Amino acid sequence: MDELIYKLKQQIIEALNLEDMKPEDIDDNASLFGEGLGLDSIDALELIVMMEKNYGIKLQDPAQGKEIFKSVAVMADFIAKNRTK
Amino acid sequence: MTNPILITGFGVVSAIGRNKAETLDALLNNRSGVGPLVYLKTEHKEFPVGEVKMSDEEMRKYLNINDKAITTRTALMGMMALDEALKDARLTPDMLPEVGFISGTTVGGMDMSEQYYLDYISNDSHKEYIKVHDCGSCSEMTAEHFGKFAFITTLSTACSSAANAIILGANMLRRGEADIVVVGGSECITKFHLNGFNSLMILDTKPCRPFDATRAGLNLGEGAAYLVLETEESAKRRGVKAQAILSGYGNACDAFHQTASSPDGEGAHRAMKEALELADIQLSEIDYINAHGTGTPNNDLSESHAVMRLFGDNVPPMSSTKPFTGHTTSASGSIEAAFCILALQHGFVPANLNWSQPMDDGIVPVHQSVNKELKHVLCNAFGFGGNDSSLLISKASEHVPEPVEGVRLATVYVLSAKQISVQQPLCEDWMTQPVEYQAHFNRSIDPSFKEYVSPIEARRMGKILKRAIATSKEAIKASGLDSIDAIITGTGYGCIENTEIFLDALSKEGEQMLSPTYFMQSTHNTISSLVAIQLKNHGYNVTYAHKGISFDSALQDAWLQMQLGKIHSALVGGHDEMTETFYNILKKGGVMGQDEEMCGEAAVSVILGTEKRDSLCKLVNFKMLHKPSAETLKAIAKDFQADYVLTGISGNHKSDEAYLKECKELFGNSILLKYKHLFGESFTSSGIGLYVAAQCLRAGNIPAHLFVNKDEIKGKKPSNILIFNHTDGNNYSLTLLEA
Repeated sequence: MDELIYKLKQQIIEALNLEDMKPEDIDDNASLFGEGLGLDSIDALELIVMMEKNYGIKLQDPAQGKEIFKSVAVMADFIAKNRTK
Repeated sequence: MTNPILITGFGVVSAIGRNKAETLDALLNNRSGVGPLVYLKTEHKEFPVGEVKMSDEEMRKYLNINDKAITTRTALMGMMALDEALKDARLTPDMLPEVGFISGTTVGGMDMSEQYYLDYISNDSHKEYIKVHDCGSCSEMTAEHFGKFAFITTLSTACSSAANAIILGANMLRRGEADIVVVGGSECITKFHLNGFNSLMILDTKPCRPFDATRAGLNLGEGAAYLVLETEESAKRRGVKAQAILSGYGNACDAFHQTASSPDGEGAHRAMKEALELADIQLSEIDYINAHGTGTPNNDLSESHAVMRLFGDNVPPMSSTKPFTGHTTSASGSIEAAFCILALQHGFVPANLNWSQPMDDGIVPVHQSVNKELKHVLCNAFGFGGNDSSLLISKASEHVPEPVEGVRLATVYVLSAKQISVQQPLCEDWMTQPVEYQAHFNRSIDPSFKEYVSPIEARRMGKILKRAIATSKEAIKASGLDSIDAIITGTGYGCIENTEIFLDALSKEGEQMLSPTYFMQSTHNTISSLVAIQLKNHGYNVTYAHKGISFDSALQDAWLQMQLGKIHSALVGGHDEMTETFYNILKKGGVMGQDEEMCGEAAVSVILGTEKRDSLCKLVNFKMLHKPSAETLKAIAKDFQADYVLTGISGNHKSDEAYLKECKELFGNSILLKYKHLFGESFTSSGIGLYVAAQCLRAGNIPAHLFVNKDEIKGKKPSNILIFNHTDGNNYSLTLLEA
């Protein structure tokens, strides 16, 4: 799981073009949106594209993202359970 | 009381009809034009669309254009609507040299670029389509099918483009810049924006249901509409009648998010309120609102809140006509204005089709067509980036002529100007020690942007956006103003870097998993709206995208509105970036980078104000012309005589000789200057021209390296400078600055 979490952080940084950020800067349990990292709805869409590209998970409804993208830990858990690649 | 703006003709093309008669019949009989995809070649067959029911070939035949002519679908639809509008207003080709043409589009020639992009980057086939990629070319192609208009420009504010074209036209009539202008917009569906909207997950796979509890997104549509706006005197002189009156209009910026509307609909609220105030019409007098109503969860909620805030418990009958046509994006403002005129003329409220369940906390639309006399209607058009506009259209018989007071024109000052270009950024080092270049194409010298945007804000910004924000912030700081009334931007090609990334992925990787960021950062109005978001500015906000006069068009808009007293300050930007790939494409297409020409990038932000303060200089006169006759040009030039003329020659281009000859003929007594040999050629380099001239007037000195003729260097101290921009072979702008 730790490996997936680390990899995921790298992929998030790349997908969202978070220049100057390193995986260590992202807390596993901090919220990605709002108060935490301060991401917005477009970032959520980018994360949906990223999950489809890297893990073969297709979300139909952007609203699903709200739960899944709560934190990197939650996201990794969801990916581990649903990945097709 | 202001001069009434008469609508003396109009034409409309959309999924529900090729002309007014077919459109009216469909609206009255609740016949939607939305259905399965037929004409666009895309994998995304799952999305219903509102296509105009003709192929490009059929349109060409309909318009009598030969098969080999270079056309784009946006231009073809535009021509169909313009044809009807001109005939309707009884405007013949011989009258067009006195008539202006203002069009709105965002896709421009993208339908061709997305088909031929792989050829553009690898071989010479279809290279003739390269020059019609941009928005301005599309407008010119549309207009020139009918003759020669006095001036042409293009608004590009995404889905409110056509509404903003109408607003500019009205301001031009009120300022006395023209008696007649033809205004509106055109937009075809492209794979580019179908995929872009898909990446934003706002397309519905079922017919759209605006304001319904189950609404799940929009359907794309396409079409065009143009209105003929005319002064009362002109209409009287020509013996034509008003079909409706444009009584008011408003434009405001939501300044909230690049693709989402604010929960309370601030921009929309301000735009509607402004339209009502300008028209001096009470809330209770509004008989119908044609909503923007796209069918996305976000838009309809935000628009509902804006309307309910404004009208309280007395919301007028309201409907979205997008279930008829799909969302016709840049053309929707004029297409729906045309629907409103038909509704006023024939006394009915068009139905909000497909509606069945009320949404939470929203308006309840009119879901069945109602026969009802209408006197005043509001027509909303909102765009990405919160470019929100509202038009107030009234029945022709509602207009009571009143004496109009003469307009006292305000004086306009250039308060500050900042640039980032191939010269040292955000300073005037070029005056003493300019950077010299050998290469034909150079990217700008960038400052550190950390001071202007935080890393988290910068995550989605290309260079052009960072440069726009940095120059804007520096210019505002230098102007000493606390707040700015308007943000007006010109860009010839917009965010070309992101456009290229999206186009490249679309062409090479196919229509799956495209990045929403690159799409939303590819629209031209991203620049202006992002600056507004950064500055939290809700004022007037538009973007012009018309070739080499994009910046000039923005300047003209600010100048007009300041003289009319509508605004007292403005941030006018000129921003263009270039990539290696697009530079090579444009070179291949003969658009730029010819011979020994130096090409660069430009970011310039200028603050204009009506208060003198510590200004750089005064802006005393401005004029824009399209293919003027020699006599017209000569007559206009008389009003623009100056000590110095800043020319647009590049220094070693083969067309320089002709350019200089023209300058000598028009301005024989002036000393000629140049600046593009230092700053390079870009679509908005005329903005750099204004910056250079303003700095010279402020310094009271012209650097030796700006003189065309070295013998004239010991010239007199400049008291005025004319910026003479003759660009693209077609367009001219003349900007006169005074110390």
